[in-house]
Amino acid sequence: MTDRPEVAGRDGFHRLLLAEWTKLRSVPRWVLTVVATVVVTALVALLVASSSNADANEHRVVVGPDGQPVSDEFHFVHQPLPGDGNVTARVVTQDDSNAWAKAGVMVKEGTESGSPYAAMMVTPGNGLRLQANFSTDLAGAAEAEPRWLRLTRSGSEITGYESPDGSVWSKVGMVELDALPPTVEVGLFVASPNDVQIHRQLGSIGVGETPTAGKATFDNVSVVSAQPSKPGAWADLDVGQPGTAGASTESDGMFTVTGSGDVASDPPDDDVVLISLSPGVLVAVLAIVALGVVFATSEYNRGMIRTTLAASPRRGPVLAAKAVVIGGTTFVAGLLASVSAFLLAQPILRANGYGPPAFPEPSLSDGPVLRAVVGTAAALALIAVLSLGAGVILRRSAGAIAGVLVLLILPLLVAHALPPGAAAWLMRLTPAGGFAIQQTVDRSETALEPWAMIGPWAGFGVLCAYTAVTLGVAFWLLRRRDA
Amino acid sequence: MTWALQAEWTKLRTLPSTVWLVLGTVVGTVALGAAAIAAVDIAQCPSPTECFEDTTKLSLTGVWLGQVTVVVLGVLAMTGEYGTRMIKPTLAAVPERRTVLVAKAVVVTASVLVAGAVGVVGSIIAGRILLPGNGFTVANGYPPLSLTDGPTLRAAVGTVVYLGLVALLSLGVGAVVRDTASAVTAVLSLLYLVPLAAGLVTDPQWHDWLDRLGPMTAGLAVQATERVDQLPIGPWAGLGVLAAYAGAALAVGALVLSTRDA
Repeated sequence: MTDRPEVAGRDGFHRLLLAEWTKLRSVPRWVLTVVATVVVTALVALLVASSSNADANEHRVVVGPDGQPVSDEFHFVHQPLPGDGNVTARVVTQDDSNAWAKAGVMVKEGTESGSPYAAMMVTPGNGLRLQANFSTDLAGAAEAEPRWLRLTRSGSEITGYESPDGSVWSKVGMVELDALPPTVEVGLFVASPNDVQIHRQLGSIGVGETPTAGKATFDNVSVVSAQPSKPGAWADLDVGQPGTAGASTESDGMFTVTGSGDVASDPPDDDVVLISLSPGVLVAVLAIVALGVVFATSEYNRGMIRTTLAASPRRGPVLAAKAVVIGGTTFVAGLLASVSAFLLAQPILRANGYGPPAFPEPSLSDGPVLRAVVGTAAALALIAVLSLGAGVILRRSAGAIAGVLVLLILPLLVAHALPPGAAAWLMRLTPAGGFAIQQTVDRSETALEPWAMIGPWAGFGVLCAYTAVTLGVAFWLLRRRDA
Repeated sequence: MTWALQAEWTKLRTLPSTVWLVLGTVVGTVALGAAAIAAVDIAQCPSPTECFEDTTKLSLTGVWLGQVTVVVLGVLAMTGEYGTRMIKPTLAAVPERRTVLVAKAVVVTASVLVAGAVGVVGSIIAGRILLPGNGFTVANGYPPLSLTDGPTLRAAVGTVVYLGLVALLSLGVGAVVRDTASAVTAVLSLLYLVPLAAGLVTDPQWHDWLDRLGPMTAGLAVQATERVDQLPIGPWAGLGVLAAYAGAALAVGALVLSTRDA
């Protein structure tokens, strides 16, 4: 190689990258750490999957039209609607039994729990909604009852309307219900979800649910069919098995309906993807933190830093090259680890009761699953860079490793022992929130694990912020300090 | 032996990091303990009489953080000598290598016991001050924390002993591994991973076994003052498990120190 003046820019940075990569791959202990990370993650996933059991499928599981577990329990005052037509009612009063208590009109394939439906409803705490098939949820006006509601069926299209007075109607939205039979059931419905109590007892958190009874009154109820048919007779029943039985009475066109339960998606609290990724990753994190820190501090221990900085006097790019090399290596190893943990653990979990219908089978091509698997690798890469930054700042392995592990692991432990409110703040304020990227199930009130306390992207954002700030301080100190 | 003790004490007290680590143990223990107390309110219970909150254990939560600096102190007492090559003059001065390890164990454990005692008493005082404000009052069946109460005294003394044993475990692992980064990572993994894993395992039998075998979960059983008979492992038996870990680490450490080149 001929002597050339130091070249700035991409070519110079390329050589820095090569130098740092050579340092990383030529220390056998470090290479071994990276390989061990992948193997141990997969092994731990296997072990935890084998020792986990779920009995949810031993109970009755109601699934919606798309195969997802749902809750479909309410009181239904109904009659058949042959062909196209509409159902109209005015909700006069609704008891405030739960913020998500529902009262309104519904078009449903039949009275089978879990069958396709569309409903216009009022709620005490969430305004007027058009919901369909446990997944669609469109908001209407927020004013309280009395409110006129109408659903119109035209083939597979169901359109929801609302009106303050029964003469001026405004459209809330339209939903498509595929494969509706010619004759559907239409009518009035009332539901009221369980109250969830989160209590602390014996130093740990418990969840209790008590049924609530919703009550609403309706008048101006009408069902209009496009086909000539005689006016139908009203029938009523509890769809599903609500916690308390509902009832309905009618006098002079005024319907009083009571009902309990909920019409909504009901994902399991256990997240099968998280179960397969999380335990192995927690072990991997320990190795990654040590590797990231030592990748920085070893330069100081051995005086290598003087050689490194003599070879490349511009210190910023040296740290950038280190960050890219350790981050990139960890990302690749993390991806191998999370993909293999997922693929190895899923069949075992399915065999141990974590299978459909209570736990829909996850696939690597699902958005949330992909987010969890790739996000795990990205989180590990960020943690490696965070550790590198901590190593540069403190220049001592013991302090840097202990410090990063306290921030990453201790909050998870403490959060288990504290009430949910305090646990949520811990996840918002420490990089431990980054583990939330492994969630694939929408958070529910009854999920109390630390990583269920913050959204996947929000938690990942906290980790990103910590990494950025640490690396920024490391840049600043590296340029300011003597080596 | 006296000379070796004096030498180790001089080395320990003249390192600037020692002061910071000892202070870190006290501050970490009291601060996390106070934060944990502040986060728990009797209003979160179904009713004041059905809370069964173990206020002593809650106040002593801070050891989860305080033990981290103890681990670093214990590990560095051994690995620091290898990092700076101080180990050669040390072993030249005291050729009986086990004496060096024993002397280190004595001075490190003594420092940690003092720091631990200050931290634990501080946590109990924090509990006395903060608990009534969150509804844990005499009227609700929670007398103020007091070291004259048998179970509370056991929890307090046991927690100090726990920290001493963690220091011994760390020293032993440091002697075996000789590398600071690996030793700190190994000890912290051993302490923290078991309770985390126990939180993820759904099988109750596995859960109990992890609680019995993990050095942190077993060792901290001594903090319980409520329903002690229902613990997976008894208070003193739990400390025994941790002592076994520490003893094993020290024994292997002594063996490799005597047989390996420095």
